[in-house]
Amino acid sequence: MKDTPLSNCERDFLLKAIEEKKRLDGRQTYDYRKMKIKFGTDYGCCFVDLGKTRVMAQVSCELVAPKENRPNEGLMFCNIELSPMASPAFELGRPSELSVKLNRQLERCLRNSKCIDTESLCVVSGEKVWQIRVDVHMLNHDGNLMDAISIAAITALCHFRRPDVAVQGDDVTVFSPEERDPIPLSIYHMPISVSFAFFLQGTYLLVDPCEPEERVMDGLLMIAMNKHREICSIQSSGGIMLLKDQVNHHDRKIASVKVSEITELITKALENDKAARKAGGRCGFAESVPQERITALKKEETSVEMTDVTDRASEIVEKAEVPSQTVPSPVVPVPGVGQVGQGLQDTWGLEEEEEEEEDEEGGEEQEEKEITMEVEQHEKDSRGGYFEFSPSIR
Amino acid sequence: MAGLELLSDQGYRIDGRKATELRKVQARMGVFAQADGSAYLEQGNTKALAVVYGPHEMRGSRSRTRHDRAVINCQYSMATFSTAERKRRPHGDRKSTEMSLHLKQTFEAAIMTQLYPRSQIDIYVKILQSDGGNYSVCVNAATLAVIDAGIPMRDYVCACTVGFVDESPLADLCYAEESGGVSSLALALLPRSGQIALLQMDARLHQDNLDSMIEAAMTACKGVSKVLDEVVRQHLQEVSVLSRE
Amino acid sequence: MAADMRLPTARKAVSFSVSSSDRKDLVVPGDVITSDTGFMRGHGTYVDEDKLTASVAGDVQRVDKLICVRPLKTRYNGEVGDVVVGRITEVQQKRWKVETNSRLDSVLLLSSVNLPGGELRRRSAEDELTMREYLQEGDLISAEVQSVFSDGALSLHTRSLKYGKLGQGVLLQLSPSLIKRQKTHFHNLPCGASIILGNNGFVWLYPTPEQQEEEAGGFYTSLEPVSLSDREVISRLRNCLLALAAHKVLLYDTSVLYCYESSVQHQVKDILKPEVMEEIVMLTQQKLLEQEG
Repeated sequence: MKDTPLSNCERDFLLKAIEEKKRLDGRQTYDYRKMKIKFGTDYGCCFVDLGKTRVMAQVSCELVAPKENRPNEGLMFCNIELSPMASPAFELGRPSELSVKLNRQLERCLRNSKCIDTESLCVVSGEKVWQIRVDVHMLNHDGNLMDAISIAAITALCHFRRPDVAVQGDDVTVFSPEERDPIPLSIYHMPISVSFAFFLQGTYLLVDPCEPEERVMDGLLMIAMNKHREICSIQSSGGIMLLKDQVNHHDRKIASVKVSEITELITKALENDKAARKAGGRCGFAESVPQERITALKKEETSVEMTDVTDRASEIVEKAEVPSQTVPSPVVPVPGVGQVGQGLQDTWGLEEEEEEEEDEEGGEEQEEKEITMEVEQHEKDSRGGYFEFSPSIR
Repeated sequence: MAGLELLSDQGYRIDGRKATELRKVQARMGVFAQADGSAYLEQGNTKALAVVYGPHEMRGSRSRTRHDRAVINCQYSMATFSTAERKRRPHGDRKSTEMSLHLKQTFEAAIMTQLYPRSQIDIYVKILQSDGGNYSVCVNAATLAVIDAGIPMRDYVCACTVGFVDESPLADLCYAEESGGVSSLALALLPRSGQIALLQMDARLHQDNLDSMIEAAMTACKGVSKVLDEVVRQHLQEVSVLSRE
Repeated sequence: MAADMRLPTARKAVSFSVSSSDRKDLVVPGDVITSDTGFMRGHGTYVDEDKLTASVAGDVQRVDKLICVRPLKTRYNGEVGDVVVGRITEVQQKRWKVETNSRLDSVLLLSSVNLPGGELRRRSAEDELTMREYLQEGDLISAEVQSVFSDGALSLHTRSLKYGKLGQGVLLQLSPSLIKRQKTHFHNLPCGASIILGNNGFVWLYPTPEQQEEEAGGFYTSLEPVSLSDREVISRLRNCLLALAAHKVLLYDTSVLYCYESSVQHQVKDILKPEVMEEIVMLTQQKLLEQEG
């Protein structure tokens, strides 16, 4: 299925908002969306949420023969799967342009910057080396895939542990995790990609564009950096014209700040997971389903100020007129028979006569509805609070 | 690769160039009769052919038609004999698809596509011999081909790769240098306005060094543009002399 | 069978006369033509920070306040009234799509062709269904540009007996800039063949018809065998045209005819040999100069 195009008024609205330094989700120009990092049962399984964008990375390894020209270096392979599950615009079959772009960018970000020590992955020189495979799956697409992918991939690599091996003569023994503790990979540095979206010929720039913003942007600049303020890869895409100083100062400063923030978050997440595993708590994929780790659609727990909610609610309740509780009792002609317009009086053909009356009532009804909505809102906010209110009109 | 000295103490590189020196660029426009535009370009030992067809009616899937501008379709390929190791190169592997994508992006920025609504411009580039800087050579060759086809562009697009060794940038990397593990930066520039059409960088580099690298790349691109300019003017005169006689 | 083989020779460098070596009117993309804001922007130029800048490589042409840059080689840019030769690529509802070397396919509407049965014939639904009988994919036609759409596509018409489907002959696809604009692009050459010099660079060579069939309405194509002598004349003309095109000589009836005359001493197949080609073209150019002067 082709992506449904954005309507012109949506486009104009977004661009206008960007011009006024406002964003759809209330973020500032250089704000990231809320980021969450979670892990699965296995080592090397990582979920990353970036707002509603959600990706999963899984690292695996196997023993393979090394490349001829590099006999004592392990291999690393990245693959990004854009399944139609994440967005109807993704199609199966031939890799799309987007998929190639992301794949290559991740490869460049991880492999070319030599973030893992490939030489330590050598088992028998020229014969057996570990091949580390990073598979990234899109679970939900809401913009800025690259950043989510890069974070998921590097976190999964940090989290991963490969089985221990022993070499005796020509024999290579691979130990199961029960026999010997698996070994973490040696990671030199953590490259993290930060995307900048350009709008209106590069006049405006936003960090972490969400999906609608990605659709109206002119171009994208992806900078991958690590916390040592080293640039690991830069890639511009889309038909933008950059000026030199645009790339130079602004973006890099922001990128380095963002990268150190994200790195900190990853480290914290890894530590938490380590602690949880040590404590023997239940963690993992099976556990993640009830905890809604995989599904993207869930209510975000938002912290709400609740100091005077009760007072205000009761105030509203007091002010509101008591709605009439008369609910016409449904007439059931024969048990088990359904009716259209359950239990209400038949109004066919009477409409014209009753129009006037309805008008009068209509006003009142509306008022009531408004009140109810407001209360409902409060109810939602004060989830877990003690008071209950049953809405009058349903 | 340890042991390979990319920049000697005297300031010379493995092929005897200075740090900021470009390889010799030779080019010729209008090498094919059938195509709307074509060019052949050598940059050192890297050789590329570029052919442009169009603008013409959309062929293939009509759904890609744009009603406000032309669609640019690029295809990059490498000859089987282009590298030291003879290799069958199937169409559409990741690297060449990415390269096609980058070429497309570069030329979408430079060609005035809005003048040709509902049409398509095809740019096909083939590397005949590969000795580093494939992307930049392709861009330079394609620029000449586009000019030969009489398709309006804002400016030339010139590209160059730059490496970073021993605290100094090296312009126009050859294969030995590229594979020597230096951080490299490819830049496509519209020289007159100084606008960057594509920027791509690999490998680790401290951010404070980026400035000098971009600066070096821009200078190198401007150098390339001078050569291309000469080629175009020469071609222009040859043809116009013939038709005026 | 004798094969003709030749060794590679060095390309002769074109010698520039002093006057032409630094011509001011040749520009390349990005060259600033003028920063005077009084001029109007024409084809091949754009305005960048109030400066009129070239976007193609070619020569600058100025008409009053209008500045254009004409590229050396380009696709055909149609103008109303041009004669074109084209190829049908598609039959659609009430229209044919015609490939004319333009940047979009041209359109030939069913309402702008003469159907058999005279000028006043009404077009019925039946005609729509039998469109393919008149012209089908792959047919060559000659036509005139009726109008140009806003996106640059051309609308053609064949509402004259001289236009219509082309029968037996030879098509040559050359650069549109080589065709000289003239009053008529249909010529019955005295050497025994006819030529249509389409403005779009497509040239059609065909045996001179004896009598135009009035009733056919331009869809009649003679399938009678063409005599050997006629075929030879046509082949010779084709090679002459290729020789002229290779040396970028403007094509019109006189230049074609002079070239034909100068080639008579050579065999038809020899005309395309580089040295013969050069000789013939030189002779032609001399004759043209003599005629002018």
